[in-house]
Amino acid sequence: MALLDVRDLSISFTGYGRTAQVLHGVSFSIAKGERVSLIGETGSGKSVTSKAIMGTLPENATIEGGRIAFDGLDLLALPPAERERLKGSDMSIIMQDPLSSFNPVFRIGKHLDDILRFADRRIGRPSGAQDRKRRIFETLRRVQLADADRVFDAWPHELSGGMRQRVLIALALLHKPRLLIADEPGTALDVTTQAEILKLINGLVDEEGLSLLMITHNLGVVRQTADRVLVMNKGEIVEQGPLAEVFGAPRDAYTRALMAAVPPLYGDRVENQPVSDAAPVLAMRDVSKVYRSGGIWARGEGHRAVSGVTFDVPEGEIFGIAGESGSGKTTVARMLMGLLDVTEGEVVRAPSSPGRRLTQIVYQNPGTSLNPKRTVAQTLAVPLGHIGMDRAAASARMTELMSLVKLPESYLGKYPHELSGGQKQRVSIARALAAEPKVLILDEPTSALDVSVQKTVIDLLLHLRAELGLTYVIISHDLSLMRNFCSRIAIMLRGEIVEQGTPAEVFAAPSHAYTRALIAAIPVLTEAEEALKPTVTEEERAAFLVPTTTLAEEDA
Amino acid sequence: MRFLSFIEPILARLAGFIMVLLVLSLMIFLLARVVPGDPARMALGPSATQEQVAELRLEMGLDEPILTQYVAYMGRALQGDLGRSITSGRPVLSDIADFLPATLELVLVTVFLMVIIAIPLGVLTARHRDRWIDNSGRLFSLIGVTIPSFLFAIGLQLLAANFFPDWPILGRVDYRLSPPDGPTGLLLIDSIVHGRADVFLDALQHLAFPALALAMSGIGQVTRITRSAMIENQRKDHVLTLRSFGVPDRVIVFRYLLKLSSVAPLTIMGLEFASLIGNAFVVEMVFGWGGFASYGLTAILQKDLNALMAVVLISGLFFIVANLVIDVVLSVIDPRQRRRAAA
Repeated sequence: MALLDVRDLSISFTGYGRTAQVLHGVSFSIAKGERVSLIGETGSGKSVTSKAIMGTLPENATIEGGRIAFDGLDLLALPPAERERLKGSDMSIIMQDPLSSFNPVFRIGKHLDDILRFADRRIGRPSGAQDRKRRIFETLRRVQLADADRVFDAWPHELSGGMRQRVLIALALLHKPRLLIADEPGTALDVTTQAEILKLINGLVDEEGLSLLMITHNLGVVRQTADRVLVMNKGEIVEQGPLAEVFGAPRDAYTRALMAAVPPLYGDRVENQPVSDAAPVLAMRDVSKVYRSGGIWARGEGHRAVSGVTFDVPEGEIFGIAGESGSGKTTVARMLMGLLDVTEGEVVRAPSSPGRRLTQIVYQNPGTSLNPKRTVAQTLAVPLGHIGMDRAAASARMTELMSLVKLPESYLGKYPHELSGGQKQRVSIARALAAEPKVLILDEPTSALDVSVQKTVIDLLLHLRAELGLTYVIISHDLSLMRNFCSRIAIMLRGEIVEQGTPAEVFAAPSHAYTRALIAAIPVLTEAEEALKPTVTEEERAAFLVPTTTLAEEDA
Repeated sequence: MRFLSFIEPILARLAGFIMVLLVLSLMIFLLARVVPGDPARMALGPSATQEQVAELRLEMGLDEPILTQYVAYMGRALQGDLGRSITSGRPVLSDIADFLPATLELVLVTVFLMVIIAIPLGVLTARHRDRWIDNSGRLFSLIGVTIPSFLFAIGLQLLAANFFPDWPILGRVDYRLSPPDGPTGLLLIDSIVHGRADVFLDALQHLAFPALALAMSGIGQVTRITRSAMIENQRKDHVLTLRSFGVPDRVIVFRYLLKLSSVAPLTIMGLEFASLIGNAFVVEMVFGWGGFASYGLTAILQKDLNALMAVVLISGLFFIVANLVIDVVLSVIDPRQRRRAAA
């Protein structure tokens, strides 16, 4: 018998006097010990499904029909108290974002203790503080957190993202649940950390014989963690079946489109971007950047964010700077644009047309980089006004820009909230192009977007480069994207470039162990690609990756 | 090490506050001497001769360059000599010692009222968002913010006069009770020390209206800030975490959310202190409080330079000490504040 059985579940949300149906007759089941992945993009209804199972739907949600059976119990018909009793003890959830899932003014241990205390009380076995502490320490060790007592006493901000994610997993395991729901675990973390987290979850599910419902938008993750796959689109399950079947021969058009949108790492679908031998339009010569700490009693060496970075960006190329958080890639981009002064070394810029800037930037999150109170036309008017265009010329240029980024001209009158994520990013690109720069700096231009939208934005950028003869510098942590999009890439680690070359060279024979670790951690879609990935030894990993199992020594 | 990282940001703030006090003292010193009117003439009255005035000017050092006067004043002030008041004829310091406790008592009770009324009200309105409790709570806080405190003061007096004729509306305590002397000058504390329940209750009655009038604007502000902080934090992921694991709602609200949401209102309370001190001047006049404010007002009208300086500096000190206390409380509540200040 299935442990979890969801039948014809329909849910609607009410807000501002309108009702929107978000789930349409969703049916699936999870057997004991089975690992099921629920794939979907933003707004597909995958998180609503998990909240309906857990019983944490917001107040404005209405269950229109259907049933959820857990081990034969009809969850929707259960009295609230009995429903509560299942939480945390029979079914539990691994929260998505480790950085925001702890209350910042309470210690980690307090969260764990309160959750365990109330779960114990609900199942009628009140426990003592010492007993709880012992069980918490045990669970922390099960998620491979080495110094459990220090983690217990730490404030949330004192732990790295990876460690917090481990604690979130520990939270879910405190009561030996039978069903574990994992909501995009690790997506907010660096790729190498994410790989470790997935390995941990897989191991725990195996050891304890748990049933797993993994919710994710990353198909590579699915391949590593699922026996069976559910594909969800606009509140409906469009395809379900065993992993090999769905990935090997997807039947639904949406599934096929999703898979096609994932950039390949190896194989014949990989694209190589041409390398140019033109003169460099931007270059860095042995550049370093030190951030001094401020304050009345400023002292110490400051933080060395970038050291000895040298590279050329020939005109017409797409230069990629790859690295994980804190590697210094954003500092490099800011120095390239002249927004930050260099501490040592030199940034060489080609001359730009009079009155124009050489570089413009496209930011990561179009949702926050566009002013919500300005229409598209008003947003575009700013750079056009800067270069001294009059009203008529600006209006003509706006029409031109809109056709360049393939948006209808009528969108000029729209506000950002009326646009989708992909459309907003198109507006950001139009804004960056408005003053005719020669170089666009792309700061993680697609990481806030769904995969299918990512692909259209990347295609647009490639098209624009060909049409306008632009040069791009892209900063990203997404190596599979960069493999297909860049002419050359540089890998940054702790402020230094450890490897540089064309993507074909770097991916075929990565020379630095860190590069190998990065590539090895990328979730891929096929066994064939998996086999081509480089390997790293444990010693190499330990030398370059931030540990997520122990507390780093306090920075002096 | 832990302790150092805790204390260091506070020392840094303290150094900043001392700078503020110095600048404030210089500004007031200059302003008081630039506005027209001869302090010596005002002290001696219209019947004094020109020679007497000149003699007093010389004695007060008013003919020296202003900066020399300032340096001399600060030199004496640092040794605890704030000079002599020309209206009362006594050292300013002993005047202050007489008048300050009354104001201090009023302000402390006001802050107490603000905390115990505004924060629960903020939580309550946030919990019942957009329902009648919320709507009336918001109306109440809007009234508190918009109506000036002297109107509240007069309104409360009228209320008492019409409906509770026995309720005291002037002064700090019934003069027939012969209140105890010392040690703090705060009647509520002194009466406890001397075991005088009658004085305690009477002083409390006297305090209620002026403190309420003074607290209203702060109550309005802090309620609004608490409400919006609670509502904002309710949507955070960490609330969903606790809810997903079945931690009861009351624990989530009264333990987790309340502590996190008290950071913003506490910060606002520090700022409210500035207007609190200003309003105290007016409210004290309305209720015949006989505190610091009436002393300060006389000093301003009479151009009593030394008294004026002392009043302004002590008001400034009030504000600074209040904010330091709030900084310490905040760094106890929120560990990130320590980290940020030390970084």
